[in-house]
Amino acid sequence: MTSVRIFFVGGLISFRALFSFLRPEVYIPSMLVAPLFQILLFVYIGRSAGLESDEFFVIGNAVQYAAVPCLFAMTFTIGGERFQHTLGYILSSPAPRLPLFLGRALPVVVNGFFVAAFSLAVGGLIVGIHVPASSVAPLALATAICAFSCTGLGLTGAGIGLLLREQAVLANIMFGVLLIFTGANVPVDALPGWMQPISNALPFTHGIDAARQVADGASLSDVSGLLATEVALGLVYGAVGYVFIRNTERLSLRYATLDRA
Amino acid sequence: MPPVVEAIDLHRTYRTTTGTFRRRSLEVEAVRGVSFAIEEGELFGLLGPNGAGKTTTIKMLITLLIPTAGQALVLGHDVVDDAHWVRERIGYVFGGDRGLYERLSALDNLRYFAELYGVEPRRQRARIGELLELVGLESREKERVEGYSRGMRQRLHIARGLLHDPPVLFLDEPTIGVDPVGARELRQTIFGLKAAGKTVLLTTHYMFEADALCDRIAVVTRGKIVAEGTPRDLKARVSDGVVVEIEVYGIENGKVESLRAIDGVTSVAVEDRDQAQVVVVQAEAGREPTHDVLARLDGVSLGRVTTREPTLEDAYVALVTEEPVAVDG
Amino acid sequence: MRVLWRGFALHLKMMMRSSFDGLLGVLWPLFFATIAFLMFRAGGGGEALVFASFGAAVMGIWSSTSTSAGSAMQRERWHGTLELLVSAPVHFSTVLLPVTVAMSAMGLYSMIATLLLSRFLFGVDLPFEHPVSFAVAVVATVVSIGAMGFLLAVSFVRYRTAWALGNLLEYPVWLIAGFLVPLALLPGWVRPLSWVLAPTWGVDAIREAASGGGAWPEIALALTLGAAYLAVAIAVLETVLASARRAGSLALA
Repeated sequence: MTSVRIFFVGGLISFRALFSFLRPEVYIPSMLVAPLFQILLFVYIGRSAGLESDEFFVIGNAVQYAAVPCLFAMTFTIGGERFQHTLGYILSSPAPRLPLFLGRALPVVVNGFFVAAFSLAVGGLIVGIHVPASSVAPLALATAICAFSCTGLGLTGAGIGLLLREQAVLANIMFGVLLIFTGANVPVDALPGWMQPISNALPFTHGIDAARQVADGASLSDVSGLLATEVALGLVYGAVGYVFIRNTERLSLRYATLDRA
Repeated sequence: MPPVVEAIDLHRTYRTTTGTFRRRSLEVEAVRGVSFAIEEGELFGLLGPNGAGKTTTIKMLITLLIPTAGQALVLGHDVVDDAHWVRERIGYVFGGDRGLYERLSALDNLRYFAELYGVEPRRQRARIGELLELVGLESREKERVEGYSRGMRQRLHIARGLLHDPPVLFLDEPTIGVDPVGARELRQTIFGLKAAGKTVLLTTHYMFEADALCDRIAVVTRGKIVAEGTPRDLKARVSDGVVVEIEVYGIENGKVESLRAIDGVTSVAVEDRDQAQVVVVQAEAGREPTHDVLARLDGVSLGRVTTREPTLEDAYVALVTEEPVAVDG
Repeated sequence: MRVLWRGFALHLKMMMRSSFDGLLGVLWPLFFATIAFLMFRAGGGGEALVFASFGAAVMGIWSSTSTSAGSAMQRERWHGTLELLVSAPVHFSTVLLPVTVAMSAMGLYSMIATLLLSRFLFGVDLPFEHPVSFAVAVVATVVSIGAMGFLLAVSFVRYRTAWALGNLLEYPVWLIAGFLVPLALLPGWVRPLSWVLAPTWGVDAIREAASGGGAWPEIALALTLGAAYLAVAIAVLETVLASARRAGSLALA
């Protein structure tokens, strides 16, 4: 009972408490308008380079932009405890740690999905791409799965972020890596050979591929393998992040690593 | 009956590294063998200057740091082995205006910690209401904490520490930076906790605060306890001595050191006051050090010279400024 | 002039010291340059890659300005130094302008890094026909973008979350100033916007100088626009400071 409430109620309260982007004067430019600019930038670069279709870039960038809410929010909602000086209170509480930390991921996934879906819809409208009605639901599912897997990566980032002062810098670097490697703009097979294995180990690569296929009329069963891989990657990154966070907590008891903010 | 909180020869060493290029590892002994026992219902004060090791000691007691050596027990349970059991039964409040979720209201801050401490959902609303009333925040509970004054924040900290009705409370410098009126209100709240039967460990560097609140005081300096007893005991240690205060305008360390050598002088401290400094010399009873002191201050520009009876403050100053060599024992 | 130069040097030094932030400052435009190079290469490459290389090189100058200029005043406010600066005997713009020009000069790091990336990792054969006008074009670009940052900084002084607006302007200027995409590809109504942006002419001048054309008219245009931003910014600043003094809102953190 306590665990369930810490997961849902506690997770939502911490998200509100620590994710500073929720104020409209930040949320609107950073979460709703910036992704549209990113879509336009790459649609035009694509046209200029004579590469792929407008749809390719709209889907790629809308989904990839979920990295901003997912990575930043996840890093802030956990790493931010240290900078609000609340970490001591959290860690001296008897609360079970699994729901305490993972509960914060749920609002992050939901928000990440919303941001990606919004930019997909509005970006698609502005650029003028057409997606058949039957593709909307599968496209939404692929987008949601991408938000999930990227939040997994965000948990890994949160673990590292607990030890770093520059959490926003870390999240920005992860964002840039995802932008290059996941095929959002450069088709994975056009990347140099050594980069491709990295692409396949990152969130988004399989999900964006699946999203593009279902937008072109493929059925969910055609892309189930891709989506399953995407989910699995999210779970692996999430687990790595959680273990990292717990380890940091244990180390801090011994070496006071978290005491110096 | 066993003590509620027991520290047995606690040690804590920090390792820090300095320098960007040539990294050197440095060991800092923050706590060097601290022992004390707090009985049920007692309000126990750890008194000492900044950096004496008070916060480190508390962090070990509340399961946030593992002692390098020694043992700590809360309600008879080891804080390292039974950390979870201990966490459920202690409340922890530290001073300063950080440590709250700025963007949330007081109500949401309390709700969150009520969840973390497993306060039953049906009891939460009533419990939070009681506590807001206890600390006098009931009319401003829905405002964001970022607009709160220091005193309000500190009271919210206390309410948070009490959510799960813990029998043992650790208060780390709860009045630091709070204005005098706010600090007085806080002290009343703390006194109320004792009246409600809680066992409280309080750290402070204000002598008068420890004197007013605590049943017993341990004076900590440089990681060790140098004196322990009731406020009355501590006063007694110096009550039969004599204190000479000399106003000076600019004094070198060498001169101050030379005063320590005077026969019968037990402590020498220098306080800054406006443009002048005041040299406070304590001496054993029956001595009249004024003459010797003035002789050694030859050449220093002097102001008023007064002789008086020692106060509790003097006892404290004497304890924390004594030579490190004399601290042992 | 002395005040301007000292302020510039001080802020450049301060910015160069914050290592991790500085790392991102160089890396961030490189991420986008890499993507652009990969895209143009996948799309056939050739002249387009040369075009994109010089454009990408200037992206960092704008990034470093737009992402920090918006919050420059906020940071001073945060440190409680804004009031001190405003009350200093020299005009406030001589305090603020060096800050934003130093920010844009930080972009030179990523400019060099981008050109090296293009030359050595992507093997693009970059021309350097007129080194002198190339150097002048780069300086004119840095200064005019710095002036643009100054205008942003004073326009955003009222917004506590100016950093979000500054970040938001990063992509559109990359696009509209024709860093990576020829202006002819953009819709016609965007054209006037491109013309009033100094970086449009700055990057044009850099390309012209590199490929052997006459860059001086573009350099003059970039500098003229920069001067115009400055004039507008000083007028805005006067109004803002006057109203802030009345409302007592400078210290409000």
